[in-house]
Amino acid sequence: MIRCGIIGYGFLGRRLAKHLTGYRERGLKLTLLANSKGYLHVEDGLDIEGLMEEISTHPGFRASHPMEAIENGLADLLIVLTPTNVYNGEPGLTYIREALGRGIDVVTADKGPLVIAFRELTSLARSMGASLCYEATVGGGIPVFSLARHSLRGDRILSIRGILNGTTNYILTRMHFEGLTLDLALQEAQMMGLAERDPGLDLGGIDSACKVVILANALLGLDKKLEDVKVKGITQVTPDAILAAKELGMTIKLVGSVGDGKLSVAPRLVRLNHPLCVHGTLNAIQFKMEVMGDLTLIGRGAGESTVSALLSDIEWIISQRTSPREGH
Amino acid sequence: MTLGLTDRPGTLLKALEKIAMNGGNIISIIHSREALTGGYVPVSLSVEFPSHENFERAKMGIEESGIPVLSAESLERRIETVLIIGDLSVDRLERLFEGRGEIISLVFGGGKGSPYVRVMFSVSSEDRETLLSSLEELAERNNCLLVCEEA
Repeated sequence: MIRCGIIGYGFLGRRLAKHLTGYRERGLKLTLLANSKGYLHVEDGLDIEGLMEEISTHPGFRASHPMEAIENGLADLLIVLTPTNVYNGEPGLTYIREALGRGIDVVTADKGPLVIAFRELTSLARSMGASLCYEATVGGGIPVFSLARHSLRGDRILSIRGILNGTTNYILTRMHFEGLTLDLALQEAQMMGLAERDPGLDLGGIDSACKVVILANALLGLDKKLEDVKVKGITQVTPDAILAAKELGMTIKLVGSVGDGKLSVAPRLVRLNHPLCVHGTLNAIQFKMEVMGDLTLIGRGAGESTVSALLSDIEWIISQRTSPREGH
Repeated sequence: MTLGLTDRPGTLLKALEKIAMNGGNIISIIHSREALTGGYVPVSLSVEFPSHENFERAKMGIEESGIPVLSAESLERRIETVLIIGDLSVDRLERLFEGRGEIISLVFGGGKGSPYVRVMFSVSSEDRETLLSSLEELAERNNCLLVCEEA
């Protein structure tokens, strides 16, 4: 039975935990939940249904550093859902490093550690015979990495581009269809819970840039960092400029791309019938393949759909632990 | 391209049909009657095609209809649009295009509060990168945002 732990028990962690209640018959039990204040561990498996929203008030909660749980080997599979820090990767980077170093499989939705130390972490996982899965870091529920590594493995990806940030896409969509100013569209997105209180990383294109770095390193075999991405955000985009694009059957979208070793994020004029022209919080990712040509994937980029990506990674690890056949 | 036309009515029309069928837009025709050689009048055409493929198809169609193509050279040019969001003077913009691209339309809008310039231009494949980098430099120097077209 695989003992699964979740570090970072916020919105995503709670949603995921609910889905994991039925996994016992499949050979996985949730034994560990941790947040910045400490952790809760039940070796026989936690009763998710009876669990309080705030785990620190639970009688069995231990007010210690979550690292203690990793060091004491309280999980065989660690789901790292820590808040993203794109500049130093912490706290997720330390947890992932420690877990992989002990041969513990890791599934993460935290972009920070991968942006900072992709090569180091993937090499560590390989050398320790552990899996490091990160489907949830790019495109929410869109199966980007598993599709590329399995279904497309006979072909070669030449370049990748996409609409990689749901918040900015929502804002630009509202500006396009309703003529809203960026500030108004942002306020609306914040009221709907689609944007952070500090939307700087989204609007400035940094969140998209992180995803471009992960795509470049994971699928194009590059070794790039955030500083290698030429980034321009959407803060200067005005409703008048969008109207000028609209007059020619186009709109403005924040497009992230990697090809010919160059990485960029910038607002671009996109034709309304272009495959990447998706609206609202949707994400779109297009691979340019050597044999197949263009392949475009569209899906929800955040929220519940991210749980789908986490579950896909968890299923992969269960299958590897029960009958290992191929690399991920 | 230069075609060798027999001096008979309707021959040029036959060639023009093949060009039109492939989306060609005729820019100029030079009929060199004085250069008649071997029964052919050389006619030089300058045509804009939507793509290189269209150019090749038109050329093949002309040859198949019995009209010799004496020479044909294609210069690939793309038509693109960029938006420059911010305040930019027309002189600087026009100077930047000199010798590198041809401005098809230039629209200034947005008023004082949120000015922008929308430029539609044609550019050869060789000059495209340098033109776009110069536009980007110009935009950055003037605290403007350059928004290019996604292919």
